[in-house]
Amino acid sequence: MLVPLYGFLRGDTIGLLVLVHETDTVREIGRKLQEAAAVRVAPKPGAEVYFRGSLLSPDLTVGEVGLQALERVDVIPKEE
Amino acid sequence: MLKREQWLDLARKLDWEYSYVSEKEIFPEPVSGRPWLPHKDWKDWDEPYRTSYAEYVSTQHAKDASVRAVQEAVGRPEDFQTLDPAWLNGLKLHAATLPLAEFAAVIGNLRAARFGRDSAWRTMATFGALDETRHTHIPLLLMHDLVRWNPQFDWTHKFFHTNNWVAIAARHLVDEMLLTSNPIEFAVATNFVFETGFTNLQFVGLSSLARRVGDRMFEKMVQSIQTDEARHAQIGPPVLRKIVEHDREYAQYLLDKWFWRTWLFFSVVTGFSMDYLTPLRHRTQSFKEFMEEWILDQFLRTVDELGLHKPWYWDRFLSALDNYHHMVYVSAYTYRATVWFDFAMPGPEERRWLREKYPKSWDQIDPVWERIAERWKRSGPGVEWYTQGGTPVTFCDLCQLVLCGGTPRENTARTLRRGDRSYIFCSEPCLWIFEKEPDRYAGHKDVVKRILAGDAPANLVELLRKYFMLTQDMWGKDMAGGKYPWLEDAPRPVPTP
Repeated sequence: MLVPLYGFLRGDTIGLLVLVHETDTVREIGRKLQEAAAVRVAPKPGAEVYFRGSLLSPDLTVGEVGLQALERVDVIPKEE
Repeated sequence: MLKREQWLDLARKLDWEYSYVSEKEIFPEPVSGRPWLPHKDWKDWDEPYRTSYAEYVSTQHAKDASVRAVQEAVGRPEDFQTLDPAWLNGLKLHAATLPLAEFAAVIGNLRAARFGRDSAWRTMATFGALDETRHTHIPLLLMHDLVRWNPQFDWTHKFFHTNNWVAIAARHLVDEMLLTSNPIEFAVATNFVFETGFTNLQFVGLSSLARRVGDRMFEKMVQSIQTDEARHAQIGPPVLRKIVEHDREYAQYLLDKWFWRTWLFFSVVTGFSMDYLTPLRHRTQSFKEFMEEWILDQFLRTVDELGLHKPWYWDRFLSALDNYHHMVYVSAYTYRATVWFDFAMPGPEERRWLREKYPKSWDQIDPVWERIAERWKRSGPGVEWYTQGGTPVTFCDLCQLVLCGGTPRENTARTLRRGDRSYIFCSEPCLWIFEKEPDRYAGHKDVVKRILAGDAPANLVELLRKYFMLTQDMWGKDMAGGKYPWLEDAPRPVPTP
């Protein structure tokens, strides 16, 4: 099932709607948001994903971490 | 024979005691507003203009003749064609947001002309309604001739009739403020906050820039409108003063709510124009400096004189003054096909100026422009899509504007769960306004929720064409098509999608 999320990439100027599958990993959220914002912020190889202030494990899936539709996630690219 | 000052109040103070119905039936609280006070508490209501109808008609006739004379002298398409393209795009933005909002203000004034609590107030509101009718007509008249030259000017009339995202946000504001507010809230929101405070940015600040740019028509138009606004804005302070006297907490709430809502609107419309769409050589002050002069100084002095405080979110507002319109402008630049005017990309000189004017925030904004410049260098001029985003953006459930609050480092969006529905807000003040009157706002859907509900197309091109009512000749582009001298020396590998 598709889960629309409000994604905020550090360094970007606007929140974006990211569509992920319940089976997508948290790592995939970071990748998709960086790709969606690439016109304004250059993507970096790795990124951490936060939900309600907590760091999410990159290997867990969207379903496993319990992300619901229209929740806010924050993506912070790792410094190279 | 009576002197003017002796007979004037005979004509404008026409309240009497009712014998067949009660005062509450004639002025019911849901329509007249709260706190509901008997007329004896309003009978000293007054304002400084004290205009008679004969004087009003005579003055307005002269003003209209003056606007018409300027239009005949400098209002032809060929006169506008000599103006800087960036300025013209600021004009398209203003022209679209102005006339039908003014028409909504006719309704708000007419409600006050019937349900305002003192007859002098009702007389002024009647003039206000006539003023706003004029303010609807003037931009429609002036921009009409330009449509044949440039179809984007058609949005002067079309804008509020579309579901363009900016129109949804503008309607959300003006429907509440102008169409549905009772006369007390209207007086505080429109006459006091909007007209006493913020419109000075347009009518003084932007008018002076228009003069420097050489746009005599715009200068004349806003000056002519301003003289009306200055008069009917005077309804605000005596109403607010009375509310402070009887319900200070409510007065402060109305001030805090409408200051924030109005700020967001002006930040986009005027902020874009002053800091990005006015040619650099003609800029005298930054948007922030205009705000500091007209809002932080003059307006706050008035608030203090009325016995009220600065809004509770003042620190957040000051931070937004450094960031918000920059965040929205650069974001909107990368979604420019979703609006009806073209964008100017700030070059090295403009960015230097912005850094000087916004030392607290520019370090975080500039890398985004640098990234866009890199993309233009890679694509070369004319490849519009390579510097635009394709992913849906997100909108605030209160102001309906994009989620661009805070800074690139820390976006201030806040979420809320209410029943089975999720809400998101661009900022703490928007969340606060929503939570104060949730039933007023909860049913409204922003663009994202319309897409998710199947009410609007999910496909971006379909959304632009069928929902935002934009065609390719109208939708926004980079004003120079990316052909800037400062980008020309760069290598241009072919971009891949």
